[in-house]
Amino acid sequence: MMPRCLGLAILAAVLLFAFGLPLVNETDPTAQSLLNALQPPSAETPFGFDHLGRSMSARLAAALRLSLTIAFVTLVTTAAIGVALGALASWRGGWVDRALVLFADSIVALPALLIVLIAGLILPNQPLAFWAGLSATLWVEIFRLTRAAIRAQIAAPAVEAARLLGFGPIYIFRTHLWPELAPVLRATFALTFAAVVMGIAALGFVSVGVRAPTPELGLMMVELLPYWREAPWALLQPVIATMATLLALTLIAGGPKV
Amino acid sequence: MFRTLTLSLLMAGTALPAMANDGVLDVVAPFELTGADPVTSGHVFLKMDVTETLVDADAEGRLVPGLATEWKSSADGLDWIFTLRDNVSFHDGSAMDGAAAAKALDWLRANGGLLAKAPVAAISSEDQTVTITLTEPFAMLPAMLAEHRSAIIAPSSFAGGPVTEVIGTGPYRVTEFSPPNKMTVEAFGDYWGDAAAIDRAVYHGVGRSETRALMAESGDADITLSLDPASFTRLKGAEGLQVRSAPIPRVLMLKVNSEIFDQATRKALSLAIDRAGIAKAVLRYETGATQMFPPGMAGWHDTTLAPLAYDPEAAKAALAEAGWLPNAEGILEKDGKPMEIELLTYPDRPELPLVAAVLEQQFAALGAKPVINSTNFSEIPAKHNDGTLSTALFARNFALVPDPVGTLLQDYAPGGDWGAMGWSNGDFTKGVKAMAAGTAPEGTREDLVATLHEEMPVLPIAWYELNMAVSDEVSGVVIDPFERTLGLASVTWAE
Amino acid sequence: MLLSIGRSLGWRLAQAGLVAILVGVLSFAMMRALPGDMIFRIAAARFGYDNVTAENAELVRSQIGDPAGISAFLGWIAGLFRGDLGTSLVTGETVLAEIAHQFGATAELAGVAILLSLLIGPPLGLWAGLHPGGWFDRATVLLASVFKATPQFLLGLVLIVVVAIGMGLLPAAGHGEARHLILPGLTLALGLAANTTRITREAVVQARDSDWWRFARWKGLSERQVVLRHGLRHVAVPVLTLIAAQFVALMEGVVVVETIFGWPGIGHALVHAVFHRDVPMVQGTALIMGLAFVLINALADIAARVLDPREAAQ
Repeated sequence: MMPRCLGLAILAAVLLFAFGLPLVNETDPTAQSLLNALQPPSAETPFGFDHLGRSMSARLAAALRLSLTIAFVTLVTTAAIGVALGALASWRGGWVDRALVLFADSIVALPALLIVLIAGLILPNQPLAFWAGLSATLWVEIFRLTRAAIRAQIAAPAVEAARLLGFGPIYIFRTHLWPELAPVLRATFALTFAAVVMGIAALGFVSVGVRAPTPELGLMMVELLPYWREAPWALLQPVIATMATLLALTLIAGGPKV
Repeated sequence: MFRTLTLSLLMAGTALPAMANDGVLDVVAPFELTGADPVTSGHVFLKMDVTETLVDADAEGRLVPGLATEWKSSADGLDWIFTLRDNVSFHDGSAMDGAAAAKALDWLRANGGLLAKAPVAAISSEDQTVTITLTEPFAMLPAMLAEHRSAIIAPSSFAGGPVTEVIGTGPYRVTEFSPPNKMTVEAFGDYWGDAAAIDRAVYHGVGRSETRALMAESGDADITLSLDPASFTRLKGAEGLQVRSAPIPRVLMLKVNSEIFDQATRKALSLAIDRAGIAKAVLRYETGATQMFPPGMAGWHDTTLAPLAYDPEAAKAALAEAGWLPNAEGILEKDGKPMEIELLTYPDRPELPLVAAVLEQQFAALGAKPVINSTNFSEIPAKHNDGTLSTALFARNFALVPDPVGTLLQDYAPGGDWGAMGWSNGDFTKGVKAMAAGTAPEGTREDLVATLHEEMPVLPIAWYELNMAVSDEVSGVVIDPFERTLGLASVTWAE
Repeated sequence: MLLSIGRSLGWRLAQAGLVAILVGVLSFAMMRALPGDMIFRIAAARFGYDNVTAENAELVRSQIGDPAGISAFLGWIAGLFRGDLGTSLVTGETVLAEIAHQFGATAELAGVAILLSLLIGPPLGLWAGLHPGGWFDRATVLLASVFKATPQFLLGLVLIVVVAIGMGLLPAAGHGEARHLILPGLTLALGLAANTTRITREAVVQARDSDWWRFARWKGLSERQVVLRHGLRHVAVPVLTLIAAQFVALMEGVVVVETIFGWPGIGHALVHAVFHRDVPMVQGTALIMGLAFVLINALADIAARVLDPREAAQ
C-alpha cells in the first residue's frame, strides 16, 4: 500500500501546483521580458525565467494543466468506449464479438503515430487533436481487458442465476461485473493516463500538436534543450514535472504485490 | 550479465575509438538528402565537391571560370557561348563535352532548375562549347549558371527519366548514397584539377541542432554547419574545436501583405519591432538589421540611409494617424475590422519561432491581435498564391545566385512567393529588369535600395551570420558567404 | 498442436489481408482529409525553402497529377497485387526501396534495444522475484518506476553527454557502423527493461507459489535447479508476449530517439511523409508496419505454444 500512497501524494502535489498556482500568482505564461532571459531562480521567483524572460512557474503550471486536463478527458473517453464495447462484445458473443475483436486488432496494427499525426494536422494547434488521436488508439487496451474480465464472469453461476431471474443487463453489470472489473481497470487507467501525458510530451518534442507560445511540457523541453548547459535548471523543470507525474501514476497503478 | 554488457560496451568503445582523425572527414549539416537530383539536393553535392558548375564564384561573389574556361555574348546579347575545359571526365568515366553539358542543362531547365527562370530559347553544343540562345538580353545568365541547380551531371545519371545517381565531375565521387541522412564520398582519381587531399569524406544530414552541437563537441564531426545561437555560444568555450561565423547575404524578414497593411501601417509596425533586443537575446548577434541589405553586400548596403528605429510610442501614434484606433476591448480597429496579424513561420530554422514569439508580444503591445502559426514552410508560397497570407516570417538568401538582382527579380519585380505581396512600384520593376538585362543606367541600384527602405514591402529584422564549428584536427576549411563551398577538396589533417 | 498452430496462422493471414486493405483505405482517407494544397507540400519537400515557388508547384502538378485522386488510390490497390507499392512523390525512388532502407535501420535499432533489454531486465527480475520483499526487490521496483517515467530524449541526452562527450567512448550520433547502434539502443533498452524486469519478477513470484514449484523443491531440487529446469520456461512466455507487444510500439516509439541520434528510421520517415503529403510513402509505411505487427504477434503466439503446450489445450 505504501507505494500507492506515495503516488497519490505526488499526484496531489502536482495537481495543487498546476491548478493552485494561478490562484495566488496571476503571471501570464506568455508574457515576455527579454531583459529577464534565463534569469536563474531567486528568492522572489523560485523557478526563474526562460529564454524569452517568461515566468517558468507560470509556464510550468499552465503546461501541467494542459497535459493533465487532456489526459483526464482522454481517459474518460477511452474508458467509456473501451468498457462499453468490451461489455457488448462479451455479452452478445458470436459475430458481434468476433467483429469487434477484429476491428480492435486492426486498429492496433495501424501505426498509432500516424493516427495522432493526422489528427494533429486536421485540428492544427488545438489540444483537441491530442484527445482525438490518442483516444482513437488507446481504447483498444481497455476494450480487451474488459472483454476478458467480463467473459470469465458472465459464465459464473451468480450471473447465470441473475439472468434467469430476469434482471436487466445494466443491473447485472452494476452488481456482478463491475466489482470484478474495477480493480483490473484501475491499474490500466493509471497507465493510460501516464501514456497520454508521455505521448503529448513526445509529440511536442517532434513539433506536432500545440504550437509556441502555448506552454506544453514536451514543447518546453524542446525550447529549453539548446540551453541545457547554460541553464540546466530551466530544462530540468519540465522534465521533473513530467517524471513526477508519471512516477506518481506508475505507483498508483500498483507496484507488484509483496 | 551486467559484466558482459559493460565489457561489450567497453570493447566497442576501445576497438573503434570515436576520434575525429579516423581518416574520414565528417561533415555534419542540417540538410537531409532528398534525392540524387541537383535540383533537390544540389547544394549538398556542391558543398561536398561532388558536382561542379560551368561558372564558379569566388569569396567576393565575382564570377570565375569553373567547368567553362571562358564565356562571351554576341553583340545583340542573345547568344552566349561557353568554352568548356578540356579533358574533364565524369565519375562514370564518360567525357564532359559540349553535348553532355548541353544535355544536362536542358534536363535541369525542364525539371525545375534555376535556368527555367532565364529567357532561354535553346541550348546547343559543338565539340567543347555550349551555346545558350536567349529570347531577350539577360546579363544574369552566367551568375545563374553558378548555382547548384545548374550543376553539370552526366547524361547517364538521368537516362531513364528522373536522376537516379549522382554522377558529377568534382574531386569527390559518391560511393554510398543513402538518403535521407548519409552520403559517403571518396577522392576521384581522374579529377582534372588538384586531387582531394583527404581520401574519404562522409556527409551526415542531422536535423536537430542540439545533436549537431553534441557531435561537434564529442569529436564525431570535423565540420559542423549551422549551430543554434545557444549551442554556438556554448561551443565557443569547448576544447578541440573552433567556432567561426561570417555575415552572409541572408536576411531574416517579415513579409507583409500590402493589400491589408498599407505603407503607413507597415512603417508603424516596423517601428514596433525591437530589432536590437531580438538580435541580442534571441539570435545573440551584435546588432539587428538597420536596413534591408547587410554591410557585407558591397554596393547594396547604403550607409547614408537612416537606420530602422525602435519606438513603440511613435508606432502607436503612426497607427492612430493611419486610422487604426482602439475599440472597446483595446484592440486596434480600422473601418470596423480589428487588426489581426497572423505570423506565419516554420520551425526548420530554430530561431524563427523564437523571433515570432517576440514579435507577437511587441505587436500585441501596440493593440493588435497577433497569432503565431508555425507550420510547414510551403504554406508561405501556398498562402501567397491564394491571397490568404497576412504576414510571414522567414529568412531569404539574396545570393541564391552570386548576384542579388536574381533574387530581386523573383521577389520584388513586382512581387513573389518569398518577397513582396500586393506591392508594386513600376520604376522599381523597370529598374530591376534593366539590371538583369545589363542595360541599367548608373545609379539604378541606389534607387532600388532607397525604394525598398522607403516603401517597406517587407520588414527586415536581422542579418544572418553563417556559423560553423571546425575541429582542430583539420585545417583549410573555407567559410563562404555565398554558402556554395567548404573548400573540402583542399582540406587537410592538421599537423 | 500442429493443427492449432495451423489454425492460428490462418487467422493471422486473414488478419494480415484485412490490415492491408484497412491501412490502405484509412491512410488514403486521412491524407485526403488534410487541409491545404498537397502539391505545395510536395514541391516544398522537393525543392527546399529557398526555391519552392508557384511555378515549381505547377511543374510538380503536371508531373504527378492529383496524388489524392480516386485513380491514384485504385492504382495503389492494383499495384499491391503485383507487390508494387508505387514511387515516392518527393524523391522519385520506389517506396519499397525507401522503406527497406528506413525500416531496416529501425528494425536494427529495435532489435538491439530488445536484446539489450533482455540482458538487463529478466536477470534483475529473476533475482528480485526469488527474494520478494528484499532490498534488491524494492530497489529494482523503484528503479523500474523511475526509468519508465524518464522521457527518452533526456535519457539519450544524458548518455551522449556522459558516454560520448565525457568518456569519449562512443560516437554521439550518426548511422552506418555497429558502434553507432549502442547509445540509441541502450536509451530504448532501459525503458523496455523496466517493463521486462517487472513482468519477470511477477512470473517468478507467481511460480514460487505454484504447486509444481513446491513439488520440485520437495523432490529435492535446489532453487537454482528449479529455476533452470522449469522456472525459465515459465517466465519466458509472458516476457515473450510482452516483447511482441512492445516491438511494434517500439518501431514508432523510436521516432524521438531517432531524431536525437540522427538515425534514419521508419518513424522519422512516416512523420516526414505525412508532412510532405507523400501519399504512397504514408500508405506503404503504414502497411509495412501493420504487417510487421501481425507477423511478430503470430511468431510470438507460436513460440508461446511451443514453450508452454498447456496454452494450446485451452
